[in-house]
Formats: sequence, structure tokens, C-alpha cells
Amino acid sequence: MDSAEAYVIVGGSAAGMAAAQAIRERDPAAGITVLSEEADAPYFRPLIPYLVSGRKQAREMTLAGSGPYTGRDIQVWTEARVTAVDCKGQRVTLADGRQLGYGKVLFATGSRPFLPPEIKGTDTEGVFALRTLADARRMAKRAEATRRAVMLGGGLLNLKAAFALLERGIRVTLVVFSPEVLSQLMDPSDALLIRHALDRAGLEIRTGTAARQIVGDESGVCAVGLDNGDEIACQMVCIGKGVRPNVDFLAGSGIRIGEGIVADRFTACNQPNTFAAGDVAVTHEPVSGRPIMTALWTNAVEMGRCAGFNMAGLPTAYTGTFGILNATQVADMPFVAMGTVHTEGVDLEIHRHASAEAYRKLVFDTDGKHLVGAVLVGDITNAGIYRYLIREKRDITTVKRQIVNHQLHYGHLLPI
Amino acid sequence: MAVTDDILEKSIDPTVHQMLARARELGLETVWDRYEKMLPECGFGELGVCCRNCNMGPCRISPFEDQGPQRGICGATADIIVARNLIRMIAGGAAAHSDHGRDLAHTLLLTAEGKGGGYEIKDEAKLATLAKEYGIATENRTKEEIALDLAKAVYAEFGRQEGFVQFTRRAPAKRVAQWQKMGIDPRGIDREIVEIMHRTHIGVDNDPVNLILQGLKASIADGWGGSMIATEISDVLFGTPTPVRSVANLGVLKADEVNIVAHGHEPVLSEMILAAAADPELVAKAKSLGAKGINVVGMCCTGNEIIMRHGIPLAGNFLQQELAVITGAVEAMIVDVQCIMPSLGSLCECFHTRFISTSYKAKFPGAIHIQFNEEKALDIAKQIVKVAVENYPRRVQDKVCIPDEKTECMVGFSTEAVIKALGGTLDPLLEAIKSGAVRGIAGVVGCNNPKIKHDHGHVALVRELIKNNVLVVTTGCNAIACAKVGLMLPEAAADAGEGLRGVCQALGVPPVLHMGSCVDISRILATCAAVANALGVDISDLPVAGAAPEWMSEKAVSIGAYVVSSGIFTVLGTVPPVLGGPVVTDVLTRGAEDVVGAVFAVETDPVKGAALMIAHIDKKRAALGI
Amino acid sequence: MTQPKEIFVLTDRCVGCRTCTIACAVAHSTSKTLFGAVAETPRPKSRIYVEWAAPAHKVPMVCRHCEDAPCMHACISGAIRRTDDGVVITDTDKCIGCWTCVMVCPYGMIGRDLERHKAYRCDRCPDRDIPACVAACPTGALVYQTVPAYAADVRRHASGEMVKGKGS
Repeated sequence: MDSAEAYVIVGGSAAGMAAAQAIRERDPAAGITVLSEEADAPYFRPLIPYLVSGRKQAREMTLAGSGPYTGRDIQVWTEARVTAVDCKGQRVTLADGRQLGYGKVLFATGSRPFLPPEIKGTDTEGVFALRTLADARRMAKRAEATRRAVMLGGGLLNLKAAFALLERGIRVTLVVFSPEVLSQLMDPSDALLIRHALDRAGLEIRTGTAARQIVGDESGVCAVGLDNGDEIACQMVCIGKGVRPNVDFLAGSGIRIGEGIVADRFTACNQPNTFAAGDVAVTHEPVSGRPIMTALWTNAVEMGRCAGFNMAGLPTAYTGTFGILNATQVADMPFVAMGTVHTEGVDLEIHRHASAEAYRKLVFDTDGKHLVGAVLVGDITNAGIYRYLIREKRDITTVKRQIVNHQLHYGHLLPI
Repeated sequence: MAVTDDILEKSIDPTVHQMLARARELGLETVWDRYEKMLPECGFGELGVCCRNCNMGPCRISPFEDQGPQRGICGATADIIVARNLIRMIAGGAAAHSDHGRDLAHTLLLTAEGKGGGYEIKDEAKLATLAKEYGIATENRTKEEIALDLAKAVYAEFGRQEGFVQFTRRAPAKRVAQWQKMGIDPRGIDREIVEIMHRTHIGVDNDPVNLILQGLKASIADGWGGSMIATEISDVLFGTPTPVRSVANLGVLKADEVNIVAHGHEPVLSEMILAAAADPELVAKAKSLGAKGINVVGMCCTGNEIIMRHGIPLAGNFLQQELAVITGAVEAMIVDVQCIMPSLGSLCECFHTRFISTSYKAKFPGAIHIQFNEEKALDIAKQIVKVAVENYPRRVQDKVCIPDEKTECMVGFSTEAVIKALGGTLDPLLEAIKSGAVRGIAGVVGCNNPKIKHDHGHVALVRELIKNNVLVVTTGCNAIACAKVGLMLPEAAADAGEGLRGVCQALGVPPVLHMGSCVDISRILATCAAVANALGVDISDLPVAGAAPEWMSEKAVSIGAYVVSSGIFTVLGTVPPVLGGPVVTDVLTRGAEDVVGAVFAVETDPVKGAALMIAHIDKKRAALGI
Repeated sequence: MTQPKEIFVLTDRCVGCRTCTIACAVAHSTSKTLFGAVAETPRPKSRIYVEWAAPAHKVPMVCRHCEDAPCMHACISGAIRRTDDGVVITDTDKCIGCWTCVMVCPYGMIGRDLERHKAYRCDRCPDRDIPACVAACPTGALVYQTVPAYAADVRRHASGEMVKGKGS
């Protein structure tokens, strides 16, 4: 054994660093080592599109010292990919052969972009799946020689990347298989206002289409062929078709893996002193109790922090996460989507209100007493209160009218 | 579109439910939406302890003794500030009624001089009676000669500096004596209002009771002065109302006619609009444009004036004015003065409706101004109606949504009509009161206010009263509310207690008598004076009570003040801004008994309010030994 | 360690005059005067809110500067941190206007600056001794005190009430 550490965290992004910070808050002296496979020191992953657009520098994205990440003496090993875990011997093995023993270990290896195998040519130069700072640097470089880019997938990440490219004067076409953008976050009818904002911003969007192949020449990507026969000439392709959890390194470790690493309510895995958090972990949805995996920074931080407290000896149950918990601004249109947002053909009580500047959909369960989902576009005031109501499964009968009319404020919840 | 629970909570009127759902569907803002946005309302204002009368301020007195300023910068206490604010409200209300009366007097003057553009003297009998009151000779004189002298005499009341206001002498001698004793017998109409403005200036009157007394004085000059003049001169020019049948509520708008809404207060305008709308040329024009005719309907007090005299349908009361526009079926909303919401301009722009202002005193954003002038009255009215008729083709048919509801009513109960219904004297009524068949008389009046469920305050109070054999006389928005729920049909006597029912059925009248517009509360005063004189007592001895269940305007404050000053106990359904001044509150609810023989009570629950009135009536009955 | 002062809200003292909101907006304006503030573009914004809870409750609400602030953890750009004085602040340079903080704040206290696309919230008036809202409140509905001092006041009052009941 090369060395040992009380707390070892595999993965240096949201969940991993949030756990490290939580451990440090509980235990000011303990040894904490974070193992990251990336070359860059931990950073705020959601900011990387700004590197592509040039609006922010990499150093502005550094995690340590920003926000709540003020804990001291947290060792971070970069370019330290873990390839195997020995749960009996309580040690991890790195790619370069080094080994590190652990008192407690957290698996927070996150996820990697999914490249659909049915699309040919995804290994062509100029094809990106924007995930890491390194990806962003390469994309930024390629953007210098790009006049037109094609984004495959209408999810949030691709939209952000699309805007980053638009800001650099590149013509961007979004190819979306679903009937509307953001299909993972809302129903097509909910996305209308956002779609208008995107159209106004100059994004070309083709829905109901998928890419079949990526064509390249000596300079890299030169076109994308679609399933309807069209071909779009372009110099860059960005794929945003979802993510897959990074669990390969756990082969043979005895850690139970389902869709991701299986963690209990206290973020513990099935082996002693092992924990999992973030995109790589399977957790549960608070309203239905169903197992769920999420790929959201906010959720990863929350789960990582919870894991950190558990590792440091403070049993903390994780209240679960909404599968959908997104807030962002695309073009000039802010929106928030949380909880159960896909309501087509589902037996739930739905209230919608649309106006020229704002849209909202409030979803109640069949007894009408509990809020289970919300989509707010344009006017996102007090969104946090809705999240609280959904998560706490609060009986909202007395404030239902205020919720439906988007007039709810905290005063309504005070017991006076 | 769905009528949700929160809409149902706002009114008892189904047309309001329907139109609020429609407003929501169209994304249109109404008075109720603006009220909700205003919450919470500032507590300093609610308590009456905010003073902006000088630039050392603005000042506000904290309601908590241990925190915040306890005196204004000039040294005024909360009571002084509350009293000043209250009587300025009286000044505002009395001024509105005063101007209304003044305009009528001026119209009479022009008519007498032959310069009235279409006005006539319709009630010569009343002309003669009024002339006699003013000591004007009537023998062998033309009505124009009499009218000229009367107009000049009435006109003079407004600018009188010394003396007394003639109509105050209609009150029982005891009442006048009490006013004189308390120093509140008004000298002239405008003078008392001006003196309020003077006394409430910084550093003038700083005695809350002294201030209140001046407020009462000015209010008497309103009730027995400006308002009464308005009523009487309107009767002379347009006819004293007699019982007539009509219909009330938004359903009076017609899908296939040119709809004109006359809104505001002065019959000087609405009578001419009516005349113009009957003009054969204009009717023909309307028909040529595809309409079946011209449908004039009234809203608020001008609506009350024309329904009382001509049975013209009433579209609704104060809070319904925006809803009328939202039906999409109104070619023109024609307004003069008072209670007209400035939101109408932008609302009319969402439809084809022309919002037409007519008074130089009352201009509005988004309105077309066609200045009304008595000397060219009919011509200008025709011009205005023409604008409405020519607007008919611009109506967007699939935006039209007229609620079905309209209710029949029997109105037109001027004092003269009541006496006639009684067979020519008050005796049958006095007998009924003595026997207890009619326990007493209640005057229930006043506006709408989104603080109270629309029309609920009015209707619940009135129903409770008639159930307990109290005859109800009503004016203003309360009258409209009662008409809309069918309380003004003789059949409504079935909802009255046994005694009242019998009397109503015998006379063929409803248990709720429409006496007219808000200035026509003077009819109630005149009737009380007549009854008191017949019984040889003061008005304060009568088994009568007043109520304003949903009041909002300054006019209502003046009215409340003059009704109480006349000796009639009055219940207010919305809380007046006086609770920050304990002395003022005590004077109004207790101390006034010694000054004017009556007090105010505040009760937001209409059924409880009725109970207070009934208890008061019973007390007065006992004192009279009946 | 000296405890920081918090802004406590006494809802039964609030008359709904909204003077606090005006004072807050003015304190966060460029001109720092009311008359100057109303002429500024963009219009200065208040970080304190006065809401209405039926039937008769007027409720002033301001950022609680939570010790374990959900907004701080949720921020995807690390723009929100808690200072040693216990004030949670949003660094406007780092803020990218994603509104995740708005989504997680259980009180609805984070505002959206439409012109600058940034989140804003109460900063406890770092340039003043007493926050502008507290100083402006005419009825004492806002109290600026440390938790122990505030709790001590409540205990003082409560113990007085308890003793009254015992007829001592």
C-alpha cells in the first residue's frame, strides 16, 4: 500500500467536492484526499459553455475558495483515475499503479456523455460532447474555424452550448428528435414561450429529426446526414444525448450496481465504509419513492454534502431528489421545471396559464391536495416555495388558489 | 371559461361571476384585481393617522405608544389628524353634491330664460310648491317667470354668506333648533365647504370636536342644501318620479341593438341622451347599419335618475362598470361626473367601445371628449348618440358576451309617489307604524366596495330588515343591488315579515322602495321630516335607521354625516378611517347622541348590522309608546 | 465569537406602510436619496417584501441569511458565499443569472434583476450600522439584534406573562 487517508473521495466535481467541504465542516483536522481523473483542478462544470463563448476564463470557474467551498487542507490529486476498488482491503488502485488506502471512501465519479452508437462517425475530429473543461478548450479552438455548427439533442446542455456558439457569430442548427426542445424537462406545449425566445435569438431548430451519420474530410467534420435524407454542411457537431454513469472501475469490487451505484437513504453502498453520491448514484424520487438518477449540479451537491456528513459520523438521511429540478435562462427567458412535469396522457390535475410574457403549469395529484410538479416560464418568482411544497408533500388545500394564480408567497405558509 | 371559487367569493351577482371569468379569459384587469394587488393597504391610512396637509410632513402617527412618532411635526395629535382628514372627506363629498345641485339650478335658469337647448319645465306643480317655499309669487305668472325667480333664489343658496339654507326649514322645528343650538345650522352651501378647507389648513382648527361640528354643518348644507336642490330641480325639469316598471342587470344590453351606457350622475346629460336616442333620424341610421334600434341603459346614479323617471333599464352598479365594457357589446360609454373609474379608457380600447367624457370637470385617459353644453343640449346629445350609432359596425361579434341575467323591478317612489300610493296622506303609513305592522323605516343606501362581497352587504342587510317588518327605502348602488335580486317586485313582499307583507300587498308596492339616486337621499330626509311633523316629534324620535353597507366614496361620508345630523342612527358596513383617533371615534359612535340625537355604528357583517338597526328602531318605538 | 445581528420580524407590528421597501430600494440606489432614486434607470429595487396573508396579516419578509444556505450550495457558479459576519452574499460578477438560487430558496427572497440578468438579495447593508429597513420602520416591526439578545427579550416578556398568571 502506497499510502492511506481517512477520507478518500473518488471524483472531484460537484458531489465529491461538496462531500469534502461537508467533512471539513464536521472534522477540521481529518485527512481528506480527492482523486480526479481530469487534469484541471475542480471547477464549476455548468460554467464551461462560457469558455466556449469566451465570456469567462477558466480561472473564474475554479471551485476551491468560491461559494461554500472554503474548507482548508483538502488534498486534490489531478490526473488520478481510479481503475479498481478492493472493498475488503479498503483500498483503491489508480491507473498509474499507485494504491491508496481509505478509512471511508465516496464514489462520486459522475457520468460521461452518451454517444448513440447508431450515429456513424462520432469519432470524427470536430465532434464534441461537452462535458469537461478540456472539451470546452478544444471546442473553443475549433470554433475559430467554424462557420456553422450542428447540435444533436434539444436538452439544456446543448442549448447552453448553442448560445455560446451563437455569441461567437457561428450559425447554429439544433437537431432534435422529440417534437420540441427540452423534452426531458417539460411537455412540448409547455416549451412554447422558450421556443419563441430561441427562435428570436436566431437558433435554427429542426424537430422530429435525428442524425444518421457524421461526414468528415481532411479538416474534420464537414456535414451531418439526417434520417430524412437532408444533409447539413457544418464544421462542428455537438452531441447532447444524455449521460451514462461512470461505474466501470467498480468491476469486481462487490459494490452493487443497478442503473448506477446503488445507495441507501444514508448514501451508503452495500460494502462497509463505502458511499456514493452525485450523477453516478441511484437515489429515490421524494414524491413517488421510485429509484431515480439525476444529472444536475444542484442535486449532486446536495447528495454529496449529505454523503460527507454521513462519512464524518453525522447520520444524515438524503430526502431524495426530483428527477426534474432545473432553473436556467435561455435567450432572455428564464424558466424553472421541477417534479412531475410530463403530463400528457397522465391522470393528474393540471392548471395552466399562458400569457404573452409568461407561462406556468402547476401539477397536482389526483386528490388535488398535493403539488407534484411545476413549470414556470418567464415569471419565476418564489419558485423555491413550490419546490418546498412538492418535496415536503404538504397539503396545499388552503393555499391552492394562490398557487394556481402564482400569487403564493411565504406569508401564506406561516402558521398565523 | 370556468367560474372558480375565488370569483364566486367576490360577488353574489351571477353576471359578475360570468364577466370576471370572461375578464380572466381575456387577460383584462378589473377593480377586484387592483384591490388584491393593493393589499396590504397602509395601516396609517386605514387608521386615518396620515397627514399630508403641509410640507413639514408627510406625518404619520404610530398606533403603538411605545414606538414611533406620537405627534405630527406641528404638534397635532392623532385625533386632530383624524378629525381633519374626516371633515376634508365630508368637504369632498359635499362639494360633489353641491356642484350637482348647482348645475341643476343653472340648467333651470337657462331653461327659464329660454336658452335651455331642449329642456322643459315638466312638473309645474312642484315648481309652484318650491316657489312658495322661497316666497316667490306664483299668481298669474308664466312658468318661465316663476322658474326664473326660483332658479335665481336657489342659485343664491350656493354663494350665500349669512342666513340659512331654505330647505333646512323643512326639518321639524325641534331639529332646526338643535342645529342652531350646536352652531351647525349652515349659512350657505359653498361657505361651509370652504370653511372646512380653511379650518383643516395647518395651524387653524386643532380641536377635534370643533372640527367635527364644522363637518356636520357642511354635511347639512349638502343633505338639506345641495342634494335636496338637485333632487327638487331635477323633478321640476324632468318630472317627479311615479311608479314604473323596468329591468336591471347586465342582461339589459342587447345583442342586436346599438347599446349606449349612460354613466355618471347628472340627469342634465342623461335625459338629453334619451331624447337624442329617440330621434327618428338616428334610429333610422342605426337600422341602416344593421341594428334593430338604439338601446340606452343607465349605470350608477344617472341610471337611477332615468329609471325612476322613464323606466330606462339599469345595467348595473358601481363595481360593474368595467364589466359592462367587457361584454364587448357597448358602442358608447358616456360619462359625466363622479364614480367613473379611470381604468375605463384603456379597457374600452380592448373593445370597439367609445369612451366619451362630457364634462370639462371630468376628463379621463383614453376618452373622447365631447363637451356638453346646456344651451345646445339636444344637439350635442344627438352628436354623441351619432358617434355611438356609427360605432355599431365596429362591434366584433365573436367578442360579445352578454350575461343572460336581468331582473324586473318596480321603481319610481318619490315622496309624492309614496304619499299617492298611500291614498294621498301619510296616515295609512303612520297607522301601520303605530300598529307595528311596519316596525319602522330603514334607509339603506350607498356604494359598492371590493372590501365587501359585492352586493352581499346590501342584499343581506335589506333581507334581514324586511323579514323583521322594517320597510326599506333605498337609493344609489344599494337600490340597484336590490333591484337585481328581485326585491323591488311587489311579489317580494312574500319575503317580508307578516306585518310588512300585509301592508305591501294592500298597497301593491314592494317591501323595498326605490327612491332614486344618491342626491335623492334628500327624499328620505323630506319624508322623515314629513312623518316627524305629522307626529309632532323630531326626526330623532322616529323609529327609523340608516345604513351604508358597502360605502366607499367621500360623498357617502357627507351623506352619513347629514343623516346622523338629522337625527338618524346610521350603520356603516366598511370601516371608516377614524379608528386611529379614539376621541373622534367616541364622538362619532357615542358623543354625537348629545349633539344631534343620533350616532354611527360600524358593523361589517350585514346581518349583525340589521340587528343593530332593528334594536334601535325598537328603542325608539318604546320611547314613543308604540 | 461575536454573534452577528439578525433582522427579526414582528408581524403584529407591521401596518403595511411599506416604508421598509422604499428605504431598502433607496439604500441600494446610486443617488441614495428618494428623489434621486425615482429618477434612476434602472429603478433601484427593494430586497425586502411586504406580503399579505388573509384575512388580516401583513408580513414583511427578508433574506434570512441562513447558516446552511440552500442557495449557496445550489449555486452552479459559486457566486454565493457566507461571510464571517454571517451575511450570505451573491457576487454579481460571478452570477450567471441561472436562477437556481431562486428555485431553492424556501422563502422566495431572491430577486431577478431583469436589466442585468443577475440575482439580487438583501446584503444586510454593509455600509450602514443599522440596515436601512430596520432604521426606517415607524412601528418597530423590524428588530436588529443578535439571536441571544432577541431570545432574552422574548424570555423577559414571556416570564412576566407566566408570573402574572400565577398571581404572584
